[in-house]
This record gives sequence, C-alpha cells and structure tokens, in this order.
Amino acid sequence: MNSIDANIVIWLNALSGNVKLFDDLIRVVASDYLMPMVFSLAMFGLWFSGKNPAERVRYQLTMLVGISALSISNVVVWLFNITWDRPRPFVEHGDQLNLLFYSPTDPSFPANPVAVGFATATAAWTINRKFGWWMFAAAAVYGCSRLYAGVFYPSDIIGGAIVGVAVYGFTSYLRRFLEPLITGFVRLIRGLSAA
Amino acid sequence: MNTDPDVVWELFAGHYFMFAFLASLGVLQVAVSNVGTRGLWLTPHAGMTRWLGIAFVLTGIAVFFLQPLWVDGPWAAGSVEADSLTRSWGKASWSELAGARNVNDIHGGLDGIKQAMWFSLGAIAAFAVSAVVGTLSVNIFASAENSGDGDQTDSEANGLAGLESRSYIENLPGSFANFRADIGGVWRSGLVKADRWSLMNVLFGRGGSSE
Repeated sequence: MNSIDANIVIWLNALSGNVKLFDDLIRVVASDYLMPMVFSLAMFGLWFSGKNPAERVRYQLTMLVGISALSISNVVVWLFNITWDRPRPFVEHGDQLNLLFYSPTDPSFPANPVAVGFATATAAWTINRKFGWWMFAAAAVYGCSRLYAGVFYPSDIIGGAIVGVAVYGFTSYLRRFLEPLITGFVRLIRGLSAA
Repeated sequence: MNTDPDVVWELFAGHYFMFAFLASLGVLQVAVSNVGTRGLWLTPHAGMTRWLGIAFVLTGIAVFFLQPLWVDGPWAAGSVEADSLTRSWGKASWSELAGARNVNDIHGGLDGIKQAMWFSLGAIAAFAVSAVVGTLSVNIFASAENSGDGDQTDSEANGLAGLESRSYIENLPGSFANFRADIGGVWRSGLVKADRWSLMNVLFGRGGSSE
C-alpha cells in the first residue's frame, strides 16, 4: 500500500518542471488561500441564495451545520495526527520529488485541506446537487494539486475526503441535540435583517 | 527565513482581509441579485449588480495574488523557492509570483483559525457596505421603479424577505420587533419538537411541556 502510494505521488510529481505555466497554476491552486476562500465564499453565498423564506431557512441551517462540520473536521484530523505521525512524501522520498510547495510540519494523514473542502461540498450538495458536485470537484482539484506538489500521498487525500463527508453526516445528526439553539440563532440573525 | 514572522503575519492579515472583503462583497452581490434582495444591491439594476459582483470577486483574487509585484513582503525576487525558509524582504518578480504567497504559517502565513477570523470580518464588512449603499440606492432610485408594484410588498415580511422591497434601515426595526415577538414561541415549540436528549431539554426539562 505504501509503495503504491509513493509510486503515484512520485509519478505525478515527475510531470512537474515541464510546463512552467502549469506548475505556476498548481502553486496558486495549492496555496493556503485560494481554495479555502472558494469554500468560504460558497457557504457565504448560499446563505443569501434561498428564493423563498422556507428555502432560505433550510439553506441557512445547512450552512451553519457546514461551518460546524468544517471546524469539527479540523479536530478529527488533529486526533488522527496525534495518533499516527505519518511523514510527508517529501520527507520519505525527498530525493525523488520536486517540491512545489513549502514543507508543512504537521503529519500527512489525513489531508486537512481536503477534509475541510469535502465537508463544505457535502453541505452544498445536500441543498443543491449541481452546485454540490462543482464543490466536490473543487475539493478534489485542491487535493490533487497538493498531490502534484509533493506534500500529500493519495491515501491522505482519500482519507481527508472520507473524514470531511463523515464529519458532515455526524454534525447533521448532532444538530438535533442543539435545537432549538440553532433555529433561535437563525431567527436572531433574521431579526438583524441578515437571514 | 530572513524576515520577522510577526511582520509577515501583519502584512498577510491586511492583504487577506481585503481579499475576503472584496470577494465576499462580490459573492453577496451575485447572490442577492439572483434572488431579488434589492435592499442589498449596490446598483438599482439586477444585471448590473451581478456583473459588478463578478468584477469584485475577480478583483479580489487578482489583487491578492498580484500584490507581491508592487508591495514589499517576504517574496523578494530571487528568494522565492518552494519552501518559505529562504525568503527575503522585497518585491516579487513575475517568474516567482505564483509561489510568493506560499508561506508556512510558522513563517508568518495565516493558519486556518486566523483565516476564519479575517474572513468573518471581511464578510461582515461586505454586508455592512451592501446595507449602507443599498439603503442609498433604494431611497434614491427604487421608489420610481417600484411605484407600480407597491401592492406586492409584504409589510409583514422581515429579514432578507423584507429587503426585497425595503432598504436595510427601513427593514431593521420591523425585523427586530418580529424577532422579539416570536422568539419565545419559537423557543418553546423548538423545545417540544427537539430530541429528548437535546442539550436544552436536558438542561431545562423535557420539552418544557410539563410546565
């Protein structure tokens, strides 16, 4: 399993260095700022996108669950990290990789940015299938860009995706234990004319 | 790293806030123009508001990622490599621009929590700007445009629904009054409907129905 993982990241990363424009595009997509901003903006936009009061409430409650899932997925990733300190690909195969990104110091498994992306995408998917698939694609591209850059193994990406989706499901379930706090919070925001 | 991480962090925080503000303002304008929330439009016309929103999003992205070309930071030409350990202070070159923003958070980049904080502030600022400009826009332009469909205005509508026909300033008192009037009932019915292991039911008793 480890050798398949390593072979894939080494093969994919070996494609870098040929087309500078593509490498530059990957550097921007893989950055800590672009795709997380896309995920945040998607949730912010959906908050205001309901076409009638009932749809609006459904969107807003789902966005609150999505934001909570995003936070909880960070905690779950941290729990994995303290359990298994998996070295990054560039640590184990540094001589075979052309690193396109800075060297993160946290463990490799599961991929935190992918978990966050998939948690957000699942929230979007539950209220709008078409938009949700686009969000899943964005999260997958984000993961693949980090793979190409040499900072994650494929199994880290898959693990991150599973964590993101599972945490969203768990958080949706958890919501019932926090009612009517969450609905009351949305009503408060509506009282401020922002929901 | 040849630069102080605290100085880098301050620079990144300011740039990221502007990025979040412009992009949030853009997304907000696209969203409210699609659903007709006129009280938050920056212009009197839906189409123009939508295109303005797209322009804001693209401007936010472009400014954030192109800024290293004209602003001094930890991306001096010749020092930008994959790792952020080698950075010197200065302006970036075109050839190294794509990697300029890839700075580890231990070297002054923004971690997830700081990004969440600055994004929230940017989004709130974007909403505030939309509410203020939307109020001016509704008062100056929309009265003539809406004169024919005044009967369709729902005076009971509040929150974002009220903003479809009113400015933020006009909508706020009614929305807040509705919140104060409704919240007690919402809370009680919510407790009744909530799971028996809901935190509130555990703290205050089953559904409040026994009282």
